[in-house]
Amino acid sequence: MKRTIPLIITLLVGLFMIGEFFIPHYRYRIWTAEFLEWGLILAAAAFVLGLVNLVQVNLPKVLRREEDWGYKLVMLLSLVLTLIAGFLGGDARSEAGHLYHWIYDFVFVPLNATMFALLAFYIASAAFRAFRARNLEAALLLTAAILVMVARVPAGENLPVIGDILPRIMNWIMDVPNTAARRAIFIGAALGAVATGLRVILGLERSHLGAD
Amino acid sequence: MLRLLQRFQALDRRWVFLGMAISILVPLLYPVSFSFKVDERVRSLYDAVEELPAGSTVLVSADFDPASRPELEPFFRANLDHLFRKDVKVVVLSLWEYAPPLVVPILDEIATRDHKEYGKDYVFLGYKPGKELAIKAIGENIPKTFPTDSRGTPIGQIPIMQGFKQARDFPLLINVSAGFPGTREYVLQIQGQYDLRIASACTAVSAPDYIPFYKAGQLVGLSGGMPGSAQYEKLVYPEGPPAGVRLLGMQAINVLNLGHLYIIGLIVLGNLAFFLTRRVET
Repeated sequence: MKRTIPLIITLLVGLFMIGEFFIPHYRYRIWTAEFLEWGLILAAAAFVLGLVNLVQVNLPKVLRREEDWGYKLVMLLSLVLTLIAGFLGGDARSEAGHLYHWIYDFVFVPLNATMFALLAFYIASAAFRAFRARNLEAALLLTAAILVMVARVPAGENLPVIGDILPRIMNWIMDVPNTAARRAIFIGAALGAVATGLRVILGLERSHLGAD
Repeated sequence: MLRLLQRFQALDRRWVFLGMAISILVPLLYPVSFSFKVDERVRSLYDAVEELPAGSTVLVSADFDPASRPELEPFFRANLDHLFRKDVKVVVLSLWEYAPPLVVPILDEIATRDHKEYGKDYVFLGYKPGKELAIKAIGENIPKTFPTDSRGTPIGQIPIMQGFKQARDFPLLINVSAGFPGTREYVLQIQGQYDLRIASACTAVSAPDYIPFYKAGQLVGLSGGMPGSAQYEKLVYPEGPPAGVRLLGMQAINVLNLGHLYIIGLIVLGNLAFFLTRRVET
């Protein structure tokens, strides 16, 4: 029973939402809009579950002084501080002068931007070490990457002789081989998603219901 | 010679990092400007905005964060200014929880500069969790998805929102997209079903993913990364920036020159050393 009822709900809701694409009647749409609203409420509730899970996973590790407990403690303290700042700030928390806004501007923004900026350094290092023309496929990839990289910046467009041709070559690479490969990936992934969706709706895939 | 090549291949990565830092710092300290052409995809995006009649209203989904800000903020600023100067009204929302504190100051700054009034000429509906579900709900029923704007005003009392119930009521949806959820999800969830006109400004890393959507006509325009933002700025400000306005994309694009050339140099030298070493060893 614990499994049958969720499976029946999944089947009914899944079929109903698929029906939206085929039944354009307004009464049907009222119900699909209602289901979507329930979904949004569940998505918002998932934040609370995430919060509980984060504490459940990390707090015992801090208390037991397991490996990297210090980082986990910093994370939990940041979580509590940001939560308090958010609640205290109320609706105006995102306005200048509030602690929540200060945390966002002077802690989150620099950290987030720094993490992303570090990529430039790791990409340079990875390109130097790993990007080798070991076989024909790798050589083709390498040549395409270099051509696109040169053509993407103004310096490439201003190179003598080849400067005019480079953007055309880049556009061909992006529009023809890239588009063909991406479409193949999209179609494959879409077919896989349809198959998985059908398996979930029909109750053949049950991993989302938890272990037996 | 062999030892030298082997040593070069095993170069400590801190030297590579130092080189990268110099490649970025030098153009920042000593800017050099190169001319550049505008891509057909960016021009299509610009044309889609140009075709909008004065008084129409567009929906902008601002889905970016501080990490993607350097690539997308220049586009977002230029696009808002472009829309306001054409007397197009703007409804902004976000599906990224980190976006509102970035979006609101930019929106207010540009609206003030262009003498636009909140609620009448532009509105920010705020952030909505739910990712694809939220996108589907935007396609289905906006007042139900966003019952109030970010300031708590009921949507029924906001003049700009009168008559706009679904995404398809807007002649254009512009998605400033840094990843998931973003352009791909808008196209998959609602573009086909409601036959929406969607334009996208995305990060450089996402652009190859979205080109098939543009080629298929599912996107009416596409601006990819910093180069796309700079090209859009060039179209919006052909005579150069107005007084007091900094064109962040056009400034930043020239910083990328040396960085790109440095990475290409590393790849070429790395391969040269690899082949020479292999030849000498065999």
